Amino acid sequence: MAVTMEATPFGMPSRKFAMWLFIIADAATFAAILFAYGYARLASPNWTRPFQFWPTIANGLVMTVVLLTSSLTMVGASTAARDGKQPLALRWLGATVVLGLVFTALHVSEWVTMFGEGWSTATNPLGGSTLVGGTFFIITGLSLLHVIAGVVALIVIAGGYRRGRWDASYIETTGLYWHFVDVVWMFVFPLVYLLNAK
Amino acid sequence: MAWIGAMLIVAIEAWLAYAHLSMGVLVGSFLVLAIIETVVALRYFMNLKYEPPALFWTLIPGLVFALLMLNHVWPDAIRVSALRFP
Repeated sequence: MAVTMEATPFGMPSRKFAMWLFIIADAATFAAILFAYGYARLASPNWTRPFQFWPTIANGLVMTVVLLTSSLTMVGASTAARDGKQPLALRWLGATVVLGLVFTALHVSEWVTMFGEGWSTATNPLGGSTLVGGTFFIITGLSLLHVIAGVVALIVIAGGYRRGRWDASYIETTGLYWHFVDVVWMFVFPLVYLLNAK
Repeated sequence: MAWIGAMLIVAIEAWLAYAHLSMGVLVGSFLVLAIIETVVALRYFMNLKYEPPALFWTLIPGLVFALLMLNHVWPDAIRVSALRFP
């Protein structure tokens, strides 16, 4: 018996369309917490600016360069996979994973330093609004969670692609997510770090 | 090229942060630069320019509308938080 398949939305694989829908929903989530941060800041007359250029802003700049570069290596992985160059695609994926891990390590080390200085989601060692730490750790924590999830997804996808279980379209779809994480950081870095620079 | 442009924008943002601008100008500049980076990433990294235009028109205007509505609701949250029972 012949089976008639309905065309996928916009002529793209369903998983890719689902990823676009997820990205839109996640963008609204990040926008909501960034709006909340903006209004909480406006409503707090005793807001403090804790970040000196060295080490926090400099560390944030390095993290930004690392994440932007990982987007470039992800483009390399998608292109190589689409061209059927599996070893090259896997090398680019490996580079992306390493850069994601470097970003995570820099982020965690920054958090550990801040915890050591007395910062938490409910305390401000400078004596001002406790919302400074609360908003910082929630926003950067959600961003970090996305990076870690992306690294795990990249490792899983790379394994499946290497074994021939998944094709290049899976790498492209995961790449969409990775680039989205990069886009989120493009808002988090200036609004959460640079606006709080001393 | 897109990567170099994004790096340039990050450098401009870092310079602006120490240029002693008013908070309003600084926030506005950061948002404009971040939106430019987002457009670059959407077009050249996420290849939105190669997707059917219907995808863009289905997803992005709805998101912008939702964000505008969020911006409309949050100031009211501040007003409500200041209310006290009589």
